[in-house]
Amino acid sequence: MAFATSLRWEIETTVQTLTLIWSYLRIGIANELQYRVNFFIQLLQSFIALGTGLIGLWLVFSHTTTLAGWTQPELLAVMGVYILVGGFIQAGIQPNMQRLMTEIQDGSLDFALTKPVDGQILVSIREFRFWQLTDVLVGLVVLVIAVLQLQETFGPLQALGFAVALLLGGVMIYCFWLMLTTTAFWLIRVYELVNLFQGLYAAGRWPISIYPTWLRLGLTFLVPVAFAVTVPAQALTDRLTSTTLPGALALTIVLFVLARIIWRLGLRGYSGASA
Amino acid sequence: MKTTIINATNLSKHYKVPVREAGLKAATRSLFKRSYKTIKAVDDISFQIEPGEVVGFLGPNGAGKTTTLKMLSGLLFPTGGTPDVLGFQPSRRQADFLRQITLVMGNRSQLAWDLPALDSFDLQRAIYGIPRPEFEKTRDEFIKMLEIKDLVQKPIRNLSLGERMKMEIVGSLLHRPKVLFLDEPTIGLDVTMQRRIRSFIAEYNQRTGATVLLTSHYMADVEALCKRVIVIHNGKLLFDGMLSSLAERFSGFKTVEVTLTQNNGGMDQYGQVLASDGVHVTLRIAREDTPRMTARILAEQEVEDLTVEDPPIEDVIEKVFAQNSAAA
Amino acid sequence: MKRYIDFYLTSMKIAILEQFQYRAQNYFYLVGVIVEPTIYLVVWSTIANQQGGSVGGYTPGALAAYYIVWTLVRQMNIVFTPYGWEDRIQHGRLSMELLRPLHPIHNDVAYFAGWKVVMIFLWIPVAVGLALIFKPTFDPTWLQIIVFSVAIWGAYLVRTMIYAVLGLITLWTTRVSAIFELTFAFEMILSGRFVPMTLMPEWVQRIAYYLPFQWTFYFPINALVGQVRTSELLGGLGMQLLWILIGLVFVRIVWYFGVRHFSAVGN
Repeated sequence: MAFATSLRWEIETTVQTLTLIWSYLRIGIANELQYRVNFFIQLLQSFIALGTGLIGLWLVFSHTTTLAGWTQPELLAVMGVYILVGGFIQAGIQPNMQRLMTEIQDGSLDFALTKPVDGQILVSIREFRFWQLTDVLVGLVVLVIAVLQLQETFGPLQALGFAVALLLGGVMIYCFWLMLTTTAFWLIRVYELVNLFQGLYAAGRWPISIYPTWLRLGLTFLVPVAFAVTVPAQALTDRLTSTTLPGALALTIVLFVLARIIWRLGLRGYSGASA
Repeated sequence: MKTTIINATNLSKHYKVPVREAGLKAATRSLFKRSYKTIKAVDDISFQIEPGEVVGFLGPNGAGKTTTLKMLSGLLFPTGGTPDVLGFQPSRRQADFLRQITLVMGNRSQLAWDLPALDSFDLQRAIYGIPRPEFEKTRDEFIKMLEIKDLVQKPIRNLSLGERMKMEIVGSLLHRPKVLFLDEPTIGLDVTMQRRIRSFIAEYNQRTGATVLLTSHYMADVEALCKRVIVIHNGKLLFDGMLSSLAERFSGFKTVEVTLTQNNGGMDQYGQVLASDGVHVTLRIAREDTPRMTARILAEQEVEDLTVEDPPIEDVIEKVFAQNSAAA
Repeated sequence: MKRYIDFYLTSMKIAILEQFQYRAQNYFYLVGVIVEPTIYLVVWSTIANQQGGSVGGYTPGALAAYYIVWTLVRQMNIVFTPYGWEDRIQHGRLSMELLRPLHPIHNDVAYFAGWKVVMIFLWIPVAVGLALIFKPTFDPTWLQIIVFSVAIWGAYLVRTMIYAVLGLITLWTTRVSAIFELTFAFEMILSGRFVPMTLMPEWVQRIAYYLPFQWTFYFPINALVGQVRTSELLGGLGMQLLWILIGLVFVRIVWYFGVRHFSAVGN
């Protein structure tokens, strides 16, 4: 009996959360559509970023034919995933975390905390920068071009692996961002975190196998860039081992629980609870 | 049956803040060793509030009013004492508790800046899970009460400060909360707007029987809305009672305004002359002497009009704080 | 003149005091900054190892030297961004600065200079750590070290000028982020930020010589870690000076006309 009520409560909460996400999405899009100019600015920035990325790739391949075993179309695929995932992060994750940072500092977080919705859910879904999705578009185009060149090794199994890897990587990046932002409860001024993350994320432009072991470990377990970019790219280029995806799932669960714990700790500190 | 809706017993909030002096040497020292000081923002405060009351928290800046409010709304854990609001422990932040309260902060906005208020209202509906027909009825009722029909379609950033505050208040009451925590709701607004907001809150209180806790350093807010005031200074509770008895308790004087038919310079025999232009005289008379003196004035002078008032509450409060600071 | 020195010293002191308050933030910043060259270093070292020990004349040791010094030079050439200027102008803060008897650019230069003093100290342990990991190889002469110490401040000033001129354009119009982004992109490629310039094709190197960008990055780094002739060292300093002067002239012009336009039109 108790189990049934608890299950019902879980379902109700999930439904409410999804409804809320939809409401915020609508508001976010409505907001952004007002500024049509931003679309063109975003598009321009995406193209400039793409341009510099391509120049980098071209420069590398003017000195060599493969990089750590990855061929040119394969590296192009990595870049495509990098841009695609970057677009999602800029659209959905980063704006929410930046808003959380600001609100912790100026006290507006109080509004979110007096709502009958779980604080972590609320602060994670409020913002959605629609125009940042131009990166997703650009990334997809690059991916398609890369995949077309990789025809021999690409099939439905790879596509599925890619989708799963992408989803898990996304969740991991969210957890990581949340943990990083939660440090604002203690350190207060943490805008540099944005810088830090973008710097670390830039490492994902190249397959992490080129980095020295210690860095590779850091980019896998400390900052899940590997799972956000390299693993999906591995899925696309048929490099996945039998342990990669299950490992990703395990790590995702661990990070999710950890993020939740740290969030609650931060909240208790914010409310002045004696630890 | 319990009738108190808010119960605060021995509420305290202490903070440890780092102290540091200016200059390069002190800064380098602080890199290695930090020294702290304990600030008692709220120091052992107790009070009970019944449903439907509108209570004003008065006190200078930094007195502890906002801290008390935050402890009652669950935003801060008290260092001492256990508050009880609506039968819940606020700091546990249960959804059922949060659905029945609302927080309005005068200098902070929670509505989406670039969108019309209507969109933000809809978001509130989604957050609080208000059934749509009920939501629309409440929303339209409030819009009518505040006469903001034309403004709700405009983006918030295009509204004036006062208009924005109206939207804020509406947005925060759409879920018909039973307890309202209002922190300096009229700060920065012009007089007309302040009155408008006050009357809306008063109406909401009358219609729904909601309990209102209001902090303000505008006496006008408190005088207009609250019969009961709690005076806080330096974290301590100085007074808890009816506004009318505040003057009585803390001020031994009454203010008598006399309008004479002709100039008279000798009014100082009745009491201290605070202001005079010959015909309109303001006198300050000791409370016990007032009946006797006013009778004398009426008998001995050519009086056109005479009123007896408590001194302005501001003066009373100011004196209370001055006394308290001197003692502390 | 004495007033200027006093102002600079006081501003730097304030900057240092402020930075002490946000120690964690500075370390986050630092980590964010060293990730970038580490990535480049690893990529090019991988290529070097694949090609049998060196790429374009750079061994992994030389590359390590280049990118570790890169981190210091990068710290030194961080300046007030053109977006910062735009923000400042839009929010009316420029009006406040205009009320001061000193040109606002002095404030920026002085404040950032103070910040850099703090950063240099924070950088030293980081550099030592990086050196232990990546084992750089370089052998500078005394002249190189001296020229380097001067060149890093020269780089700072050159870059200040470039971005001040860009930022001041917002006195006329605010729809210029495209220009900013394009400039950043060009700088990325033509300054030696991504790779040492000698790894770029010849024609790119020739173009870059006439632009200010490589004098903010590649020149100072190479002055310390490369095999550079005395004439090249001094010539490089000369180019920095030239660009600082050109920059100053442009800043004055843009400022003069920009403020006139702004005061007539803006808030």
